[in-house]
Amino acid sequence: MLAIATVYLIALLSAEKQILIIALLLAGIAVVIAAAWFGVLEGLGATFADHENALGGWAIIAALAAAAYFYDNHFVLLLVITVLLYSVATLGLNVQFGYAGVLNFAGASFFGIGAYTSAVLNTYTSLPHVLVLAAGGFLAALAGSLLLFPVLRTRGHYAAVVTIAFALLFKTFLEVNDVLGGPQGMQVKGMRILGWSFNDNIEIGKISLSFYMNYFVVGLLLLVGAIILVRRLERSWIGLNLDALRLDETAANCFGLDIARWKITAFLIGNFLIGIAGALFGMVGGFVAPNNYTFADSLILVSILLLGGIGNPWGLIVATIIVVVVPEKLQTIQEYRFLLYALMVIAVLLFRPQGLLPRPVRRYFPGWRP
Amino acid sequence: MTRIPYRTAVCVAAITFGFAAWTADAKDKVKVGFIGPLTGGVSVNGLGGRNSADLAVRLRNAEPKAKYEYEMVVLDDECKPNVAVQVATKMAADKDIIAGATHYCSVTAIATVDTYHKFGFPVIVWGAVLPDITYRNKYDEVHRVNGTMINQNDANAELISKLGYKTVAVIHDTTDYGKGHNEYFSKALARIGKVNVVGTFGVTSDQQDFTAELTKIKALNPDIIYFGGLTPIGVRIRSQMDKLGIKAVFDGTSGIVSDAYIQGLGPLAEGTLAFREGAPTDKLPGGQFFMDKYNAQKYDNPPEAYGPFAFAAMEMILDSIEKVGPDRKKVIADLADVKDRDSIVGKITFDDHGQNTVPIITKYVVQDGKFVEWDDSEYASGKRKLPGQK
Amino acid sequence: MDAGLFAQYVMNGLMLGMMYALVAVGFTLFFGVLDVIKFSHGDVLTVGAFTALAAYAGLRALGINSEGFELAVMLVLATLAMAFLGMAIARYLVMPLRSAPALNTLLITLMLGTVLRESVRLFYPQGANPKPFPALLPRASLDIGEFNLRLDNILMLTAGVLVIVGLQYLLNRTKLGLAIRAVAQDEETARTMGINFTAIVLITFAIGSGLAAFAGVMNGLYYNEINFGIGLYLGVIGFSAAIIGGLGSIYGAILGGFLFAGLQTVGTVLLPFASAYKDVFAFAVVIAIMAWRPTGLIQEKISERV
Repeated sequence: MLAIATVYLIALLSAEKQILIIALLLAGIAVVIAAAWFGVLEGLGATFADHENALGGWAIIAALAAAAYFYDNHFVLLLVITVLLYSVATLGLNVQFGYAGVLNFAGASFFGIGAYTSAVLNTYTSLPHVLVLAAGGFLAALAGSLLLFPVLRTRGHYAAVVTIAFALLFKTFLEVNDVLGGPQGMQVKGMRILGWSFNDNIEIGKISLSFYMNYFVVGLLLLVGAIILVRRLERSWIGLNLDALRLDETAANCFGLDIARWKITAFLIGNFLIGIAGALFGMVGGFVAPNNYTFADSLILVSILLLGGIGNPWGLIVATIIVVVVPEKLQTIQEYRFLLYALMVIAVLLFRPQGLLPRPVRRYFPGWRP
Repeated sequence: MTRIPYRTAVCVAAITFGFAAWTADAKDKVKVGFIGPLTGGVSVNGLGGRNSADLAVRLRNAEPKAKYEYEMVVLDDECKPNVAVQVATKMAADKDIIAGATHYCSVTAIATVDTYHKFGFPVIVWGAVLPDITYRNKYDEVHRVNGTMINQNDANAELISKLGYKTVAVIHDTTDYGKGHNEYFSKALARIGKVNVVGTFGVTSDQQDFTAELTKIKALNPDIIYFGGLTPIGVRIRSQMDKLGIKAVFDGTSGIVSDAYIQGLGPLAEGTLAFREGAPTDKLPGGQFFMDKYNAQKYDNPPEAYGPFAFAAMEMILDSIEKVGPDRKKVIADLADVKDRDSIVGKITFDDHGQNTVPIITKYVVQDGKFVEWDDSEYASGKRKLPGQK
Repeated sequence: MDAGLFAQYVMNGLMLGMMYALVAVGFTLFFGVLDVIKFSHGDVLTVGAFTALAAYAGLRALGINSEGFELAVMLVLATLAMAFLGMAIARYLVMPLRSAPALNTLLITLMLGTVLRESVRLFYPQGANPKPFPALLPRASLDIGEFNLRLDNILMLTAGVLVIVGLQYLLNRTKLGLAIRAVAQDEETARTMGINFTAIVLITFAIGSGLAAFAGVMNGLYYNEINFGIGLYLGVIGFSAAIIGGLGSIYGAILGGFLFAGLQTVGTVLLPFASAYKDVFAFAVVIAIMAWRPTGLIQEKISERV
């Protein structure tokens, strides 16, 4: 099953002719609709939940296979890395909204905080780059918790407003502030770990691997780490508390859960993930600018969350792939992509609000079916 | 399920097509690239540039003596630095594209120089005027056929000093483009020493409301308002000036030399000053030839001010590939040694930073809904007067 | 700062505030009636402005040149068209999602806003470029010292005030307004009282969207230009203004609108770099106000059934 999906993905990524791409996409959509019709999707979701570890292992192998196939194709590898890092960021959002029910419309801004941190630290200090990644995560988490303090006592949409205001404020602030490069942005030096520079192509014998391979490996490690973290979190007592909080605040309060503390914890963890992803992405692209982190980009992250199914990491990854890869490939509709994309989300919201792969109910014993 | 046979059918069809196309072609196909702002506020310039470059490719493909058949890959940088870096990465990472004519907006051109250098992709800039693009680093990959903003601001400062004005307020956008204009204009004014800058205001490139700045400027009462930025904001500032009753002369740069400026303002555009490097299209050495061929193709948009430069840039790339073959390194080596090459905009010579010198600066004033050369205008002869003109 | 300059700033603030208030009132209306935050409100404004522009082009093509007549036709056409659009949005997008979590409605309206915005950009001829909006109000102006008093500004302010007063009258003195307020307070009881819920919701959306169209035309007249992005900017500010003022309260929305405009004007006066930091300043104050009074200045009285 996963093998077919991987082959399909590789085919989609390598196809250049527009007609071929459209054909592949239509075929894919037809398959999904047929599967939903025949009730296969629910079964799939259950299978995912049952054999999660095996699925994870297969997915890693699939990713490595795809990367190996495109070993010297810069742009495809860049797309793959984008998918990996957006997935990490969306996982962060997932912790905030899927588990704790805290709306965050400033996802791209925290992503940007991570990216700018890596830009500034790389340029002005000689902090080891792995620490820079962590620093990006911490700063984003810090900013998030500061932001959240005001609205902890209120209902959902007021928190949303604060995050929206912050998202707009962030972009404008960066644009007018020359210290951080202003609207031109800043260049970010490539990553270096223990003297191995990430920005040079790797030469193994006669084969020259794209330098993006380095980032790909780190990105994959990050994603795997994030998924493991999020999964463990969900299964743990922290996850239980967050779920209780989300489902019924009043009842949770009656049981003695400190709402404020748990909301901030969730927000912190989520932002940490977003920040790290942002820091790495800044180094991959080599360039940060305020225009990369606008409100519209935050909306894209939230939409990925919705499309994939709130609370389900696998759904997220699938949705990220759709959102990142498809507009890039369909160059003929490049102009129309925001329009089509918004229409798609509206359709999903109207007809399948749980998203593509909704979150299954919590299992006490993993793999146990009642 | 019919899925598998369908896909196989598509694959087979694709392969057959490809085979047929391959055997049908006699010449090798070579890809060249073009990047410009095809959407957004300055899209008319991007589209004009694209059409001009496309014209160059078409003319070349129609020539039987050409060694290769050229295909132009077009990408849109939306006049935004982050998008520009993305599309530049995309184009430069594609090994099939040999070289590119890139960028109208200075903000995008300056953001992408490092990308082109990283991938070893030769480019010739056709419309961006910020000097830093070629002068900040010594990259072999980056060249430019149009001039920089230094000369146009010199000419600007000279004209308004000559006309006897005393005070000017500067509005510039906060991108490197606007800041560059501000810097060179102020330096030129200081050198001549006759006109004072009474205030400098930075505005964001998508700002809508200028009443705050203009109210402050009204209090300062300058003779001239100088604007370093692009057409959309130029249109807004000029019309809001009128709303606040400010009667100063509006003095702009090459960024507002565009039909969109006049269309956006109607009668309010009358009496606006602007400057641009390079002679007007009809006075270029190859101008008439260019206009004839361009009109014959019946494109949807006019070539705008920088179309001829885009044409010249693309021609240069095509000539280079014809000479040394479709190899990026060889093209870079060839473009490193450009002296007095003929083109429709005159003889092109690249200095050690890849920059062409364009000595002529055209002074424009808007008269009766058209950009007219200053010396030919009724303002210069005295039949009409700019506000405050002596 | 002399009196003339001060007066100029006050006038700028008033104009901005009026536009923000109109948008904010729309948000509050929708929220009050259906507990939804309709994010596409700003983009409905854009579509309204472009409809008016298209109407103008049409009238010109027919050879009608009387400015007053053109303005009247544009306003009526835009308002009616947007009212219909608002009703359609309510009927097909918002009402079906009433049982879903509030986030879904928020998102669907956000996406709808994107659809509207992109449609204008792509399908209106040359939509991506800013378009000049005709100046249809009398251009007379009076110079009082430093202050330039324009007749069209006065006219627009008056019109805005009249519209808001009219809305207040509608809500507080008519039977329809009573029905709207009843639905806003308690849906079930209103239904029991014989009020047709769906009809009231549709009418409220129609009113709100018509307001947006009016604000769009006003915006076009004030800046003499419209582009496809004005809705997003105004929508966000209107939304923030409504929140500051307290969602669900019309007075709050108006207060919020003028407060936001005031903040922006004060920001430009006090801060050295003029407009550069004004948005940052205003949004930072919004966040601060939310910290102090999370449900807005005119508190929303909520009770939740546990």
